[in-house]
Amino acid sequence: MKSIQIPRSPKVLIGFGILLVFIVLTVIGPWVAPYNPSSSAFIPNLKPSWQHWLGTTTLGQDVMSQLLVGCRATMVVGFIAGFVATILSIVVGLAAGYVGGRTDEGLSLLSNVFLAIPGLPLLIVINSYLPSGEQANPLVVGLVIALTGWAWGARVLRAQTMSLRDRDFVEAARIIGESRSRIMFSEIGPNLLPILASSLLFTILYSVGVYTTLAFLGLTNVATWNWGTMLYWAQSNNAALANEWWWVGPPGIAIALVGTSLALINFGIDEFINPRLRAGGLSARRRRQLGVARRPRLGFTPVQRITTYPEISTIPVTSAEGIAQ
Amino acid sequence: MRMLLRRLGVYAFTAWVTITVNFILPHLMPGDPIQQLIAKLTGRVTPEEIRAIKEQFGAGLDQPLYLQYLHYWGHLLQGQLGTSISLSAPVAQVLGSQIWWTIGLIGIAAVLSFVIGTFLGVVFGWTRGSRFDSVIPLATFLQSVPYYFLGTILIMAFAVHFHFFPLQNAYDQYLSPGFNTTYIWSLFRHSQLPILSIVLSSLAGWMLGMRNMMITTVAEDFVLMAVAKGLPRRRVIFHAARNAILPSVANFALAIGLLVSGSLLVEQIFNYPGVGNLLVQAVGNEDYPLLQGIFLLITFTVLGANFLADLLYYLLDPRTRTATAH
Amino acid sequence: MTEQTNILEVKDFSVNYGYGEASVRAVSDVSFTLGTSRVLGVAGESGSGKSTLVYGLTRLLRAPGVISSGDVILNIPGPDGVRSFDMLAATEEEIRSVRWTNISIVLQSALSALNPLRRIGREFDEVFRTHDKSLSKDDRKARAIELLAMVGLDANRLDRFPHELSGGQRQRVMIAMALALRPELVIMDEPTTALDVVTQREIVSELYELRKQLGFAMIFITHDLSLLVELADEIMVMYAGHIVERAVATELYNAPRHPYTLGLMNSFPPLHGQREVMTGIPGSPPDLKALPTGCTFSPRCPYAMDICREKVPPQLPLDNGTRLVACWLHEPSVGAAVPVELSKKFVSNAGGAQ
Repeated sequence: MKSIQIPRSPKVLIGFGILLVFIVLTVIGPWVAPYNPSSSAFIPNLKPSWQHWLGTTTLGQDVMSQLLVGCRATMVVGFIAGFVATILSIVVGLAAGYVGGRTDEGLSLLSNVFLAIPGLPLLIVINSYLPSGEQANPLVVGLVIALTGWAWGARVLRAQTMSLRDRDFVEAARIIGESRSRIMFSEIGPNLLPILASSLLFTILYSVGVYTTLAFLGLTNVATWNWGTMLYWAQSNNAALANEWWWVGPPGIAIALVGTSLALINFGIDEFINPRLRAGGLSARRRRQLGVARRPRLGFTPVQRITTYPEISTIPVTSAEGIAQ
Repeated sequence: MRMLLRRLGVYAFTAWVTITVNFILPHLMPGDPIQQLIAKLTGRVTPEEIRAIKEQFGAGLDQPLYLQYLHYWGHLLQGQLGTSISLSAPVAQVLGSQIWWTIGLIGIAAVLSFVIGTFLGVVFGWTRGSRFDSVIPLATFLQSVPYYFLGTILIMAFAVHFHFFPLQNAYDQYLSPGFNTTYIWSLFRHSQLPILSIVLSSLAGWMLGMRNMMITTVAEDFVLMAVAKGLPRRRVIFHAARNAILPSVANFALAIGLLVSGSLLVEQIFNYPGVGNLLVQAVGNEDYPLLQGIFLLITFTVLGANFLADLLYYLLDPRTRTATAH
Repeated sequence: MTEQTNILEVKDFSVNYGYGEASVRAVSDVSFTLGTSRVLGVAGESGSGKSTLVYGLTRLLRAPGVISSGDVILNIPGPDGVRSFDMLAATEEEIRSVRWTNISIVLQSALSALNPLRRIGREFDEVFRTHDKSLSKDDRKARAIELLAMVGLDANRLDRFPHELSGGQRQRVMIAMALALRPELVIMDEPTTALDVVTQREIVSELYELRKQLGFAMIFITHDLSLLVELADEIMVMYAGHIVERAVATELYNAPRHPYTLGLMNSFPPLHGQREVMTGIPGSPPDLKALPTGCTFSPRCPYAMDICREKVPPQLPLDNGTRLVACWLHEPSVGAAVPVELSKKFVSNAGGAQ
């Protein structure tokens, strides 16, 4: 099995860095939060200060504490939904792509249906029917999100499985007489990894986005903190009109940063899957270091004369067969 | 042609699934939300209205489920979507009056963002390796910002802090709608910031996708051929872009769903009339008939947009037209 | 064209991939001239640098390719005599002006070289419209039909999309298009490799006729030496970016003097004539990042001597200077005994079929 070498570009490294910070916060967030996020014991509408790094809300709550505590629910739901959706898409995609025939037609139709139905409105409908006890349960919400988010991954995996199915090494395994499930998981599986990773990143991204949106609409329990509920309270207290940027800004930026980190990592996977995307030439920076004036243009191969030739033969050529060159 | 019919079949099936899900969901949910709703409303609304809700959801009609289902279809085919609880008006009528705001706002924003994003993607894909590459991290960030958050930020910056744009609503509330310049100007001014937020949020997705495809396409032989033929650079870029745009059109299904979902919330942020605003109200008031109607409407609109995208793909790629081709 | 001029003069031409220490040399100090209306065959395995050479010469080579040395002069005949055009000093706009008008190219896979979304007719039309603004729409169409007829295709092909044509038809379209503006030089990059043997043969003989009729010079790249024997005036064999042997086509084919040429000949059956057991060349082309010292072919060469592994062989002129061979076997001062199959007297079977 080929090991996956995600190109280590700055983009990917920064992506991993940001994600790591948020994963650490997911674990330690509630412990390091300076105050109880729901306590409204402070002076309202304070700008950021040493006491309250991110100020306080109109309700007199500490924004920093809300941000730190809310990180956990946001990330956990995002990751649970992402993983469950990806597992669903693996099962559907692999089965459709490998088994083919009727199974494929049925499963493809199913994914096409889920792909065409807009996820958020469906989620809103499902969620508003949920009893309020279940709305508060991040696990239930995560599972519902997963239910609407698997179709894209399944479609991509199906296509890739189909193209792998006919390759030589799979053919060989079939001739040797390996079982179908073994071929699927030990021969085809590893070759799907990059696409799988990419689809996992996207479903996590989607899930974080959708979960915070539902929370922003007040469709999750508004007393459990996540970044969406923070924005919900900010919106319902007209924080934007009062220009309370310290309240509105942090949760939104946090959501965007998680998304950015996942997308940056995905750049690396994209370059792995599609070698054409790799920086074939040089970055603008590296070019400057080497003194190359211009970006190489298609149809105008650069001429960069090198004056020293290390390998030219220095042996004098005696004339062969009597004729001098 | 077969491909188009096939897609049409998928959409018809999806429409059926949507309608059925809409019907079955309240029956499947734990705690019977409809009964709870009725219990909550009893005494607050007229008995007729309670009866209308029962009729709409088939609750308490003591009919077997399949009869209720047929009943539901009968209503639907007559264009009856029930009565909104919070607005005390037929859902179909409420939606009919609000949908044009949404189609206008999201439609214009979607087209603008597709056109601008695709154009930028072509330029940035072609000039890969130049200084333009530095916009990518910014675009990635922008792509991850929730629509409603970006809307909020824009309001704070350009309407609250600097008074460049009006804050809320679709037009100045002291004006009465009419075909006159004051009203139209007011409409135009009020639409700018919402459109800007939708375009900014969705632009980066088109752009990054198009850039990737452009880079992939420029590596194709036929682009090198275009150069070898001595075509002006403009023509060469066109050759590549024309081909690179196909996957964007093919991925329209996923994108339009996300775009519509995101944009609906922008309406709420700007207190802009339309389906999104209604949706948020319906959620807040537990107005299930309205909620169901909105869900059907949005899904059908997205299916329609998807079919238009398929049609466009069919026109753009001759290979789909030879049905016998592998 | 009364005097014998050279359409193309190439001197010490080198191409690198990448810049700085990380770069590799893909083409090393290649020099040759191509006479007007002459055909030069360039042969070698994949990775020998033969394609890199021609894409470099035309400046079509993609990044990270960089031209690192040499001169490329195109002598373009015009109404007021021959104009020398320096390919490496020209601006982008100047190069664009000689493209297709004076140099055209045919790629290996016509399917990928034709824009899949365009009708054939539109591709022709675009070429004419770009380079000859005086032609009317009908003129352009008439010219395109005329060109298709030259390669034996019906006019109705103009309305087809590439995927609606067969492989042979597509390649004929490409050839017709390459001749559209009557260029002085046509480059063929393995134009027949993707085709079946019968179509290959047809296209090669069509090219032979077309060249006689129109008198363009041609550089024909292939890994199949037997194709070149009928078509080429001169053949250049490349290995790891170096010219290892260059001679008049029939001479080279009848009496190869470099071990690599011999190996390459044995890798393919002759286009005409009986089939023989093919031996091929053991091993695979070298990694350009880690070239062996001395002669780059030495690790695979059955005749390799100690000196071959230590020193790069010079290009030795043989046969009264009509042939160049970069092989220590032929350097008198080394004093090696030249094997009979690489000597002047030897005539290979393959040549006998001519």
